[in-house]
Amino acid sequence: MNLKAAIALLGLMMLVLPAAIETPLRAQSSGAALTGAVKDTSGAAVPNAKLSVKNVASGQSTEIEANAAGTYDVLNLMPGEYEVTVSAQGFTTKTAKVTLGAGAAQTVDLVLESSSGNAVRPSLGDLRFPQEVAQGSAQEQARLDKRSHMLKIHQRLGLITLAPLVATIVASSMAGGRHGTATGRDVHAGLGTLTAGMYFTTAYFAIRAPTIPGTKTRGQIRLHKALAWIHGPGMILTPILGEMAFSQESNGEKVHGIAKAHGAVAAVTYTAFGLAVLSVTIKF
Amino acid sequence: MKNNWLTPIALCLLVPALARADSVWVLEQSTLTYHVSHPLHQSEGVSHAARGKGACHAGQCDFLIAVPVKSFDSGDSNRDLHMLQVTRGAQYPMVTVRTRMPETAAASATIHADLEIQLAGQTVEYKQVVFQLTAEGKLIRISGTIPATLSDFKIDPPSLLAVPVKNEMPVRVDVTWRPR
Repeated sequence: MNLKAAIALLGLMMLVLPAAIETPLRAQSSGAALTGAVKDTSGAAVPNAKLSVKNVASGQSTEIEANAAGTYDVLNLMPGEYEVTVSAQGFTTKTAKVTLGAGAAQTVDLVLESSSGNAVRPSLGDLRFPQEVAQGSAQEQARLDKRSHMLKIHQRLGLITLAPLVATIVASSMAGGRHGTATGRDVHAGLGTLTAGMYFTTAYFAIRAPTIPGTKTRGQIRLHKALAWIHGPGMILTPILGEMAFSQESNGEKVHGIAKAHGAVAAVTYTAFGLAVLSVTIKF
Repeated sequence: MKNNWLTPIALCLLVPALARADSVWVLEQSTLTYHVSHPLHQSEGVSHAARGKGACHAGQCDFLIAVPVKSFDSGDSNRDLHMLQVTRGAQYPMVTVRTRMPETAAASATIHADLEIQLAGQTVEYKQVVFQLTAEGKLIRISGTIPATLSDFKIDPPSLLAVPVKNEMPVRVDVTWRPR
């Protein structure tokens, strides 16, 4: 390449490059926007409608989906004639023609008619249920599934816990009083520890089960939950008092002070626990 | 054929007219009650939240009733949430019932309806379900029981104390329609 040719090429590049850079910039700055809402004939939003925005001149289409509130927007469109086609389940497909000016933002609300209209077969859309009622949610279902799974474990463990609980009560006769022995106290303490361990595992599955927003607690489950405020603290207090009584007895002392309440607290706790089981088992 | 051009015009005028219903019915009030049985419990869940539409054309009427699964109230929120879970009510929130019957059925005291029910993502048909009709002025009251079962809709029976509820879950229907 000689010098003249190189200078000519450089000159050409200087002419062409700015134009080549400018064109997309200009196209971007002149990009038009199309926004609007998809509604039914009653004026209610049609959620998640499918829209196709087709440039009539170029034949290029942009596919979008309206959001849950029925609104949509398409940005950076070239100026020109467009065909906007909107479709949604339960409604007839509608096409609207729109002319977009350079850099303009145009709002086009689209009204869909129920596909059944006055025709014979009614559709779910005709019944005008609010969107939040009629629309399913896999996420909500997963939350419900997890809740049920955890409460099933809670229920089973709660029933199983009754066995060591009854055994602890039976063993209490060998732990204290005139007939109390060291072995009896060990057996009673061991069973009590097992009961407390199983109880708190049972409680964990109820406490950690997901809650369902907007649900008011009604029915016998209210009693079940209320009883937890008795047997819950009781299950913490009973082993503490039991341990104090155990130490006193092991030291050859007579059980005294607050430790004397061990038996009474245990009785109230176990009664509340038993009632909690019955409250979801027997209808009254 | 001199007037051939008239045919498409006539069709354009006629088809929309033919597609229109001769009469439309709207659900005025409803009580839907499901019943589940367990050796320790007998439970019922009631909903009054159904909406419905019926459209009659050329002597045939198509009816649609829909009700949100979560609207059923058994008096115990824990049981209701459990029913919502087993019926996959969060994922498939609506129960729909469709039926088609002749317009003349409105004059009968008893009808045998074929029902198409959608619940828990399943569509099940029940044939010849018996309903009683009572005319109350312009209103028509329809009542009967749909012999639904849990297994029809692939619903795992809920259990209490490891004992599952019975498979039968009859749904009592009491609906009142009014012409629009």
